[in-house]
Amino acid sequence: MITVENLRKTYGDFPAVVGSDFSVESGEVFGIVGPNGAGKTTTLKMLAGLVEPTGGSASVLGYDPEEPAMRRKLGFLPEESPLYEDMTARSYLRFFADLYDVPRDVADERTGAVLDRLDLEYRDRRLGDMSKGMKRKVAIARSLVNDPDLLIYDEPASGLDPLTTNVVLEFVRELRDEDKTVVFSAHNLFHVESICDRVVIMNRGEIIARGTVPEIRAEHGETTYRVFTTVPLPETLPADDEVGGEGEERHVAVVDEMAAVESLREAAGAAGGRVADIRTDEASLEDIFLRLAREAPTTSEAEGGRGTAAAGDHVAGEREQRVAGGNGQS
Amino acid sequence: MTDLRTRLVAHARTVLRIARWEVSRSAGTLDRRTAVIGLVAVLVAGGIAAGAAGGGVALDRDLYRVGIASDSPYYDAVDQSSTLDPRPVSDPNVELVVSETHISVADTQTGRAAYSAFRDAVQSYNERQMAREENQSAAFPVVVDLQYRERAALVPAGSRVDGGAGGGGGEAGTGDGGGTDAGTGSGTSGDADGAGGTATDGPAASDAAAADDGGVDAPSLGGMASLFGGDTSGSPASISPPFPFASLVLAFAFLVPMNFVIQAYGSSVLNERINRRGELLLVAPISPGDIVAGKTLPYLLGTVAITIAIAAAVGGGVVSVAAVVPIGLLFLASTFVGAMFARSFKELTFVTVTVSVFLTTYTFVPAIFTNVTPIALISPLTLVVRDLAGESIPLGEFLFSVGPILLAAGVLFLLGVGVYREEDMFTQRPVPLKFLDALDSRISRARSVATLSALSIPFVFIAELLAIAVLFVLPVDLTVPMILLAVAVIEELAKSLHVLAAFEKARFSRTLRSSLVLGGLSGLGFFVGEKFTAIAQLAGLQSLTLGQTAFAPSGVGIGDGTGVSALVVLGLFLAPLALHAVTASVTAFGASRGRSAYGVALAGAIAIHLVYNLQVVSALG
Repeated sequence: MITVENLRKTYGDFPAVVGSDFSVESGEVFGIVGPNGAGKTTTLKMLAGLVEPTGGSASVLGYDPEEPAMRRKLGFLPEESPLYEDMTARSYLRFFADLYDVPRDVADERTGAVLDRLDLEYRDRRLGDMSKGMKRKVAIARSLVNDPDLLIYDEPASGLDPLTTNVVLEFVRELRDEDKTVVFSAHNLFHVESICDRVVIMNRGEIIARGTVPEIRAEHGETTYRVFTTVPLPETLPADDEVGGEGEERHVAVVDEMAAVESLREAAGAAGGRVADIRTDEASLEDIFLRLAREAPTTSEAEGGRGTAAAGDHVAGEREQRVAGGNGQS
Repeated sequence: MTDLRTRLVAHARTVLRIARWEVSRSAGTLDRRTAVIGLVAVLVAGGIAAGAAGGGVALDRDLYRVGIASDSPYYDAVDQSSTLDPRPVSDPNVELVVSETHISVADTQTGRAAYSAFRDAVQSYNERQMAREENQSAAFPVVVDLQYRERAALVPAGSRVDGGAGGGGGEAGTGDGGGTDAGTGSGTSGDADGAGGTATDGPAASDAAAADDGGVDAPSLGGMASLFGGDTSGSPASISPPFPFASLVLAFAFLVPMNFVIQAYGSSVLNERINRRGELLLVAPISPGDIVAGKTLPYLLGTVAITIAIAAAVGGGVVSVAAVVPIGLLFLASTFVGAMFARSFKELTFVTVTVSVFLTTYTFVPAIFTNVTPIALISPLTLVVRDLAGESIPLGEFLFSVGPILLAAGVLFLLGVGVYREEDMFTQRPVPLKFLDALDSRISRARSVATLSALSIPFVFIAELLAIAVLFVLPVDLTVPMILLAVAVIEELAKSLHVLAAFEKARFSRTLRSSLVLGGLSGLGFFVGEKFTAIAQLAGLQSLTLGQTAFAPSGVGIGDGTGVSALVVLGLFLAPLALHAVTASVTAFGASRGRSAYGVALAGAIAIHLVYNLQVVSALG
């Protein structure tokens, strides 16, 4: 469906995308994740034919992305959905259907069904009078007006309330069930983890991880073990009551290797106690992303001067904010 | 062939869809205030046209009330005057009473003014009667021959003799015209009532009349001496300037609506760029060219419709419409490019005002000199003035006037469509960089450089003609060097800016070889393009000294090579090619080394070009 080889885009001296390689199979939901400025939107726009690559190649539905024939089979949803606010939802959708040579009755039926599923009424209301969530639903309906084989959604749930976000994400799942191929970007990793078949993680224009979520977790995730002992050891801390039982003390140590678990078992036995419980914690996609982003080489380390100070600062600031805010997904 | 036709039909269908959408959207967004302003604009244009068509803008209509009997010999003169309002003799509220034996007027300022207006009205009436006379020899027994003289031969105004061509006020035909700027020879007016000098026409007549006011070189007011005394005052409606005033005002009416159409058009184009609104159109299976054509079509058709309506109102024919529509297209093209470059509505306002002022000046000012100099033909509005005056327009003159405008509009649209893409529409890049982007968008290989150089010719042509129009009023000794410098600057910029854009966008390697190849191609393209401008000769522009200066072999156009050997002709023919290739290579080399180096190289190229031009002009004498 999509093949990307060494795709690059440079704005002036700033490399927005650096040598991306990936492929997307028919019927899968493919996620591109990364912080702001990672190159997600630029990559999607190159796939949609909106932005001309500086180098490399991309094949979308068997076409060069800039070919109009490709666009007939593509549904694109930009991150922001600036609509023509003086038009009603109905006239707006009909206009775009017209551009795709879709007969009016077919367009009405098709977009009507989508809006029903997205629970949008008021189709004759001016778009300027609609809420952001309602506009997003109209934009999604527009992306499907030509019954496309491929959907490219850039941050489809960006800025929406949780209820509308769930509606949109559920809708994307349903698209997969209808054999549509969906490529979408997000910086909310929970969304990606919940619906994507495969994922690439981008940072500073580069792909730093790829695969299914379990594959990425296996390759890059840290599995940690919480070992509860009945006696205090130099490596342990007092544990919460919830893990205690039958009046025994509980102490806990967190280790990341089974060998360390065995060492704790031996130490506890030597101290007259025992290992009462062992729990395994798997890293979330967000944990992995944060760790990879921290470990990624800096601009000067990687390419001897890639990127600009401003861009680098922006990404770093974003990362710090995420770390400070915590994620609650572990 | 069928495939081509299918594609054309598909394009046309898409363009019409977008046009229909643009109309419905614009109608939906048109607020009442805008509608009122638009309506006022149309009414103003209509008012100007109607006023001019009615014999002038008569703000002083029925200003003075005249008590006069309907059987008075003066009644028709009063009745036909726009300034005077005939009333019964018994009416006490009048400024002037005309009886069979005498004229009564109050000894007040108003009374004197009414008396003056009455004199003018009678005089104009008499002139009209004379003009209708079948036996013109009897009506105008004196023929005045006009000869233009060099300025240097002028006698200082203070030393001129009284009189001059045409009748002075109340002095029945005494002037001999000697030594005046009009050089009118022996013009006398033998009219008993002093309203002489009517046997002349056009600007010469006015110049002749100008001499009767003690040597002031100004168009006459009223044109003739007064009925009862030497007074040249008159109402605006009676002004007779040395150009076809009425036709000029009517021609101006064509321009007024365009200034409003481009406001709406520019806003529509910029609206697509605000908040990335037009991004989704770019993802649809339609080309940027279709989008632009569709968005422009309603405004172009509107301009055409308004033009036809105005032409019908003022008596213009097909020539008027055919001459004005390209101006409208250039208004739209300039606005489109400006709206593509502007980064806010504030900047767009600056753009549209600039477009209005520049194009109105470019088209209107030369038209003032319709009957004076061939330079006036650089403006299609001149064609309108002549069409309204009932003159026929040769095809060559029509093409000379309209061709550059049409070509310039086409190239501007081409450049604008080149930046109708995501990377330029929705970014806040500085305007100069967007301009370079627009040029670069048309460069795909080395030979594109030659094509762009050739396409720059309309702008070069317009810029050089404008330079001539601006400078031709100065003494030739001063103007020629300035024209030569202007030509060098204009042409070197035209040959090098797109090369700079290509190097800036890393289209070509920054090597000496690339510089020479691109410079050579740019010079060649420019050389080929300028040969098409030989059409200038059709308009007789080369009869002017300045025309020879600007359109000498070094400039746009070719010399005729009369009286020289074939070898010299060949040399003259190829010398510009060598010049253009050399200077373009110099600037290309500078461009390959960065913007600062380009600036230095450009200055050098201009210097070389200027020296060459001076040599050619000197050689041509």
